[in-house]
Formats: sequence, structure tokens, C-alpha cells
Amino acid sequence: MKKLLSLFGIIWLIYLPVTSQEEKPRNWSLSGYVKNLQSVYSLQGLDQPLLDNLIHNRLNFRWYPHEHWTVRVEARNRLFYGDFVQLNLINGDQIEMGNNDRFDLSVLWIDKPSWVLNSTLDRAYVQYAKNSLEVRVGRQRINWGINTVWNPNDIFNAFSFTDFDYEERPGSDAILMRYYLGTASSIEIATNLGDTWDERTTAMLFKWNALQYDFQLLAGWASGDYVFGGGWAGNIKTAGFKGEWSVFTPDGAGGTETSFALSSGIDYVFGSGIFLGLGYLYNSNGTTTGTLATLFNFNLTAKNLYPFKHAIFLQTSYPLTSLINTGIAWIYSPVEAQTLFVNPTVTVSVAQNWDLDLIGQLSWNKDQGKFISPFSAGFLRIKFSF
Amino acid sequence: MKQLSYLILILLSLCPVLLVAQETAIEIIQIADDRARGVESSQGVMKMTIVRPTWQREITMKSWSMGSGYSLTLITSPARDKGTAFLKREGEIWNWQPSIDRSIKLPPSMMMQSWMGSDFTNDDLVRESSIVVDYEHKLIGEEEVEGLMCHVIELIPKPEAPVVWGKVVARIDKKDYLQLKTEFFDEDGFLVNTMLGKNIVELGGRLLPSRMEMIPAEEEGKMTIIEQQELLFDQPIKESFFSIQNMKQVR
Repeated sequence: MKKLLSLFGIIWLIYLPVTSQEEKPRNWSLSGYVKNLQSVYSLQGLDQPLLDNLIHNRLNFRWYPHEHWTVRVEARNRLFYGDFVQLNLINGDQIEMGNNDRFDLSVLWIDKPSWVLNSTLDRAYVQYAKNSLEVRVGRQRINWGINTVWNPNDIFNAFSFTDFDYEERPGSDAILMRYYLGTASSIEIATNLGDTWDERTTAMLFKWNALQYDFQLLAGWASGDYVFGGGWAGNIKTAGFKGEWSVFTPDGAGGTETSFALSSGIDYVFGSGIFLGLGYLYNSNGTTTGTLATLFNFNLTAKNLYPFKHAIFLQTSYPLTSLINTGIAWIYSPVEAQTLFVNPTVTVSVAQNWDLDLIGQLSWNKDQGKFISPFSAGFLRIKFSF
Repeated sequence: MKQLSYLILILLSLCPVLLVAQETAIEIIQIADDRARGVESSQGVMKMTIVRPTWQREITMKSWSMGSGYSLTLITSPARDKGTAFLKREGEIWNWQPSIDRSIKLPPSMMMQSWMGSDFTNDDLVRESSIVVDYEHKLIGEEEVEGLMCHVIELIPKPEAPVVWGKVVARIDKKDYLQLKTEFFDEDGFLVNTMLGKNIVELGGRLLPSRMEMIPAEEEGKMTIIEQQELLFDQPIKESFFSIQNMKQVR
């Protein structure tokens, strides 16, 4: 593992001086970014706000050794320091756990009480593609979602919008076979590797296009449940209309009930440039009570995408200038706890390859008859892409 | 003799007018459009520069198109957006985000949004609408642009057309059918953007403006420049090239 990472580091060092003088097209590419995330958290019951820092480098390496073959390896190197590490709210073991699937492709370089340095390969796969066939083996992202915000069909790597700093998502150690049946239709079979059936997900996805709509159906086995689901993406007049649903039926031994998740949404851009998105999630595994603090430590899967039973999503964004984009997202749950999550964002293009983001995460919910704010957080992120 | 030569001169000067009088507005637009896009297909490399009084940003891309129905655009820089692709098939548009391994279907209303912060809309680049099919055309006069005599043609969008403009006025040069100046008006008749075709050179075996400037009205010092760096017309390309599979793989 260490060797692999060192090799990756060497490739990067070689790449740097070469970029300026290379002429003919090469059969590999290296890109990535470095970003610094400064966070301030205010948690209920704490007098002082918590300050946290994350320096994060990502390297995306692709190699095209032959017309039909692609090798893709991507690494993230992260340095954590600040109150979260000091108070042991983040520690090395936790980070290692979150990184890994079947194989350990993560290295904890430093695990001190005040700082943690970790490197992980979250993509490492080989792809063979010929004519209509694609086969991928290795750590990869299998993204089966079709809707904008919540994705009950994303049974391999479900995404949480609160985790804005990791849009790439962890990879699954998996095998994927995809066969294209036409320009907008395909059939896919994927399985991830797990030691026991309860850790494995194996499913099939069929996509097709009709009446200017994309449709999909999936069936299989997802970590202890039989899963059956579907989705669509199309338009009503000039507004986008998308949705997806999944039913999870347990094997029987566990004694849990069948779960159902449905999400749907509409998005539209006005002539003025204002974007408006409206969505809804029904999550049979969600609760109707409790606080929004659970948003950051509940077990997020396609089966349980949000802690509450119902959630309404409203997002607006507006490009203030060509360089500044502003937006605000609201998620309200019309349940007993009356939770509201508000996520304002400002994105500034500082220079050609430099972006600056200001992000807020605010929360309110009803607790013993009173509205309280269990947490609020602010983030400042600067990112250099190369 | 003198009178005869005057007569010949007058007749000669009238000739182009007489000739073009036989061409209808739609024919002129059709020829200009075929010339700029290729009858069958086109593919090219271009650089877009967003110019503002105090800063500039550059975006480079590769594009392929077939007729007005199919197009594929791949962003090659800046680093942040590299690999992002847009596929258009008839009335449907998809966006490929390589970092999250996902293709997203885009709503048609998104076509009118600014293309990556520039003065061009998504539609200008992905070419959802067609200046031939989506408008009613009327020849309204002639005018000189950059020393070249042009037809002035008014384009009014058809009721169901996926177009945000209230009216478009195009100036197309009489000799080579080059779109030299195009004005875009909103539904209230106010000028929104002016597009200029400049730097006429041979591209893909024909004369074309290699530099397009999109200038927003009443905004001093702002514009977006598109420079066509490579351009090929009517190369063999199949409809199946414009597929979701290829959107993910194209380099």
C-alpha cells in the first residue's frame, strides 16, 4: 500500500516539470486540487465554538495504455487539526474506517492527539471498454441516482448533501459490467465485495429512454435486503421533473420491516438566471421526533437518506456576477420535531484556478415545546485546482 | 459612349441587388447556417475568454455537432471543469460530471442560463435552438459591416420555439454569407446582446469569422470572446457518436 502511494507521489513530481514543455498528446493525465477548509461549529450545550481545519489534496491519475483499456487511480491526502481532533471527535481509526471498503487502501501517516494525516485511494480500477461493453474492476464509484437531491437508487454509494466537501464519495470495491443497448439505454450488473452476504450488494440496472424521458429499473440484493426500485428524469414543459424510489425487503431473519423510500423534484431556471429546485423525500425508516443533531451521525444509506420520515427541499441560486454565485437550500420536515436545515452558500471564482466558498449549515427543531438550534456551522474553503 | 458606360455601371451596380432579390430571407439564413455549421457535421476546438473590466477567465473546449439536432461538447480547461461534457440529442440534454461519475439530465429552461459565467447562454454553445427552424425570417434591408455589404434579416421566434429572445436581427454578408453582426433583443424589444464575427480566415476549407465577440448592451468593458482554434466540416461521423456512452468516454 505504502509503495503504491509513494509511486503516486513520484508520478506527481515527474509530472510537474513536464507539463509546460510537453507537445504530443500523451496517454495519461494527472489532475487534482488542494483545498483548505476552515470550520466553526456551535453546538448546543457547549459554551465555546469549536474550530477545525482540514487541508486536503486530491490527485486524479488516468492512464490509457491501450485503445480499450483505462486505469484510474485517485488519492486523497488529508491533514486534520483543530478542536475536533483535540477533543477526539475525529481520530485516526474513525477516518480509516470511513475510508475503507473490502480492501485497506488507506494509510494513517500520523495519528497524534493534535493532528492526523491520512492518505486513501478512493478510486483504483481498471476498465475495459470495447464497442458497447464496459467492464470495471476495482475500487470505483457506482452512481445509480437519477434525481437531484436524494437518491434511493444509489445503493452502492449513497450521497449526503451535508457532506459538501466530499462530492466524489468513497469508492466501492466492486465489479461492474455495463452493456449499452442504444444511445441512451443500457443494462448494468454490479457487485461489491464483502466478507458476508450482509455486507454485499449485487444488483442489476436497466436504463432506457422513451417519450423524451430517461427511465430506470433496478433489482437485486443490498446489504441484507432484497431491493427493487426505479426512477425517471424528464421535463414538464421546460422544467426538469425527476424522481426515484426503492423498496427494501429484509431476508426475514432480521425481523425488520420492509422499507420504502421515494424522492421526487422539479427544477427550473428563470430568464433572470434564478435557479429554483423543489423536492420531497419520503423515508419509511425516518423518525418523527428527535433533533437535527442526528443529521451528522446517522447511518446514511439509500435505505435511510435523511433522519426524518418526510422532508421538503427548496433550493434557489443566483449568479450575482460571473464570478460570484449565491444560493440557499432549505430542508423542512413536517413532523413532530419540525426540523429545519438551512444551507446558504456563496462561491467566488477568485482567479482562473482558485475558488473560494463560504458555506453555512444552520438547524432548528422543536424540543420539549421550544424551538432550539442543536448546531450551526460555518465553513470557509479555498480551493486550487490543477 | 459616355452615356453607355454610365448605363453599364448602373446596371452592374444593380446586379447583386437583382440577384439577391431572388433569395428569400430563409434561404440566406440557411446558407449562412450551413456555412457556419457544415451541411452534415462539424468538429472543432475553441477557446472562450470572459472579459470584464478588471479580470479575465478562459475556458477551452472541444465540440462535435451533426445537423442542428446533435452535439457533444467537452470542457478541456480550466482544471476544475476538465472532463465535464454536454450531450444534446434532439430535444434532450445531458451533462456528464466525471468527478461524481454521474450523468444528469438538464431541464430545457437551463439552456438559457449563462454558459459557465460567460455572456453566451448554454443554448449558444450546445445549440439547442436553430436559427433556421425556430424563427420566422424577414429581409428588412441592407447595411455595411466592417466594409462588407450585408443583408439585414429579422428573426422572430416561433411560438413554441425554445428561445428566450423576443427578436434577433442578423447581418449576413452578401458575398460569403458570413454572420458579421447579430443583435439579440428581449421580449420588450430592448437590445440585450450584440454578437460580432471578426478575424475572417479560412477555417475547415472555407472563409469564416474565427473570432466571435458577444457584447452585452449597456455594460461597459464586458464581453465574451470565442476563438475557433481548429475546425473541420463534414467529416464522417455517425449519429451513434452522440451517445451517453461516448459522452463519458470522449477525450
